[in-house]
Amino acid sequence: MRRRRFIQALAAAPAAPALLAQQPAPAPAPEAPEAAPLDFSIADEGADPVSKFFSARQFATLKRLCDLLMPAAPGSPGALEARVPEFMDFLIGDAPVQRQQLWLSGLDGLEYQSQTRFRKAFADTDATQADTLLAPLRQPWSFEPPNDPGARLLAAAKQDVRTATFNSFERNMAASGGKRPRGGGGLYWLPVE
Amino acid sequence: MAATNYDVLIIGSGASGGMAAYTLTKKGIKCLMLDAGPPVDVQNNQVSKPAWELPYRGLGNPARLPHVVQANEYNANQWVDEKQVPYTHDPNSPFNWVRVRYVGGKSLFWSRMSFRLSDYEFKAKDYDGFGDNWPISLADLAPYYDQVEPIFRVRGRKEGLKQLPDGNFIEDTTSWSPAVQKFIGEASKRNIAVTKMRSSLGRGQLASSLNLLLPDALATGNLTIIPDAVVRDITVDKNTGRVNGANFLDRHSSREMHAKAKVVVLGASCLESTRILLNSGIANSSGALGHYLHDQFYITQCVQAVMPEVRDKTAPAGYASGGGYIPRFRNLQTKEKDFLRGYAFDFSAGSTPDAKFFPLYGKALDDALEAHRGTGFSGTCMGSVLPRFENHVRINKDVTDAWGIPVLHIQARYGSNEFNMAKDAINTMAELCRACGWEVLARHDQPLPPGYSIHEVGTCRMGDSPKTSVLNKWNQSWDIKNLFVVDGSSFVTAGSQNPTMTILSLSMRASEYLAEQMRKNEL
Repeated sequence: MRRRRFIQALAAAPAAPALLAQQPAPAPAPEAPEAAPLDFSIADEGADPVSKFFSARQFATLKRLCDLLMPAAPGSPGALEARVPEFMDFLIGDAPVQRQQLWLSGLDGLEYQSQTRFRKAFADTDATQADTLLAPLRQPWSFEPPNDPGARLLAAAKQDVRTATFNSFERNMAASGGKRPRGGGGLYWLPVE
Repeated sequence: MAATNYDVLIIGSGASGGMAAYTLTKKGIKCLMLDAGPPVDVQNNQVSKPAWELPYRGLGNPARLPHVVQANEYNANQWVDEKQVPYTHDPNSPFNWVRVRYVGGKSLFWSRMSFRLSDYEFKAKDYDGFGDNWPISLADLAPYYDQVEPIFRVRGRKEGLKQLPDGNFIEDTTSWSPAVQKFIGEASKRNIAVTKMRSSLGRGQLASSLNLLLPDALATGNLTIIPDAVVRDITVDKNTGRVNGANFLDRHSSREMHAKAKVVVLGASCLESTRILLNSGIANSSGALGHYLHDQFYITQCVQAVMPEVRDKTAPAGYASGGGYIPRFRNLQTKEKDFLRGYAFDFSAGSTPDAKFFPLYGKALDDALEAHRGTGFSGTCMGSVLPRFENHVRINKDVTDAWGIPVLHIQARYGSNEFNMAKDAINTMAELCRACGWEVLARHDQPLPPGYSIHEVGTCRMGDSPKTSVLNKWNQSWDIKNLFVVDGSSFVTAGSQNPTMTILSLSMRASEYLAEQMRKNEL
């Protein structure tokens, strides 16, 4: 559009009339159709994440935990549909060591408790068994994180899994009736060179 | 082309530097302003983005900005990169130094809470015997508050409270919601005043140096601004002992330059100004430079309550909404046993409590959140921190920033006065909520690490004596009379009020004095 206006402005410039007077006026060129705005996708829409931080067993524990914390509801994808376990694998893999350690030892601890109490993997627990192991989440909130590493993981996971689910492409897609969601969110401050 | 020898070199373009430029240029004084950051077009530098488009789904890059609790994935680029401009502290004494490097400084992003200090702060020692008084009183600064508030268009309501002096306000005519009226009723039974928030409306999107001060200063034709100028040190004329400019590096290329001026005004923010002075090795005959670092301790969501009368959407629309401010009420007429000075709160009603406060998960949590939609009442406590000599900054020569400039080592921690005050504050707020019949879901009295409030002050304090202070009552160095420091570092004690109005007023006052001294050829 800007380019077209520039050319129109040139045509109207004072230098043009002498030349134009010697030639028949050309027929106005037809308007070029506007190009459709380009539409881009995000990686999650067209590709699968590659998990590489958690071990297979830890990842299985994480998947079960995500499903318990944010289950799917009719018309509302849960953490598994929103590929939150895969996202957490990426997020925690990028995190400082202290946060990584919290998740690694926390998931291992959950698995250990499950094996000790129910002789099965946490990933295979039923709702009642899992609820027993998630008892720390029924404790009142405290500013200081719990001392127990397992309880600390659960408190962190409750917040992170919830946010990652709500802010997922899948959840927002469902909320906008299956169409690519547009707008919303917040104002992003661009980097300034 | 030889560089101009300016009348005044101003270092920093935020609230204090901006006000110095605004005041001095209107008096015909030629000013050069250096700022470490780039200019920014606030309107066009923000784009609307859904969280699902962000690489970390709104949770933010977990390895970035570990000290900036305020940072999220949307605003991460607003803050100074801690790897580019690091600082050090003892592992057991964290300090959150939150910085902005753009033309306009932190005034681009501040909370806009706009209060005056009172003589409970200016003359604090007279009330409780601790520390030192300011060398000025409210009466000295009031004429400048009177001028600053209309520039920033401060909205508020006059309440006649000695501990929170009224200002030159745009009258706030809004009413209280019924839930807040109930809260005010319980507070008044305990002689606790509740006021409307006092806030700078500014113009358009901003209440900043960038749109309220610098344009007027530039319009005089007396201001030159050089962005991306990272000041290393202030230079001194060996013959006169006076400052004569500053060395700086171009932010992009690290090219070294020197700017000359007859007077230097530092307004680079409390700790950056102090760092520049310490790296320059000047203005410290008192030994006070870098000491007396203090701020306000913050406890966000210190009490999270829910209003049962609003649960399950049973209350009429508008019943629970709005917020307010509780100015200091402790140690005014009476004396507390466990702490000196006092604290303030801001509060809001009608939000939905965060999921973390409910001891539930999964569908049960979703159901509880739905039932408690709009039922929340929460408060944030801002407490006065005592200025203590041992809380200080010094240069760490072992660590340099991206331009090779030695960084600050910050050593600050809160003491029993702050912790006891915090306990009292949270007990009081919880009691008020319960008296209203509200359920306290969660409470905590642990302040966030020092620095979190972004209200650090005091490291270049003013005073009555050159033996105990860095600046005189005109923000002028005792040691070097053509050097002024006009930002929050000049505070003697901070109180519990947000400091920006006071910083602006001090800068205006100091600049008027400076201009008059220049007119009389006394600098």
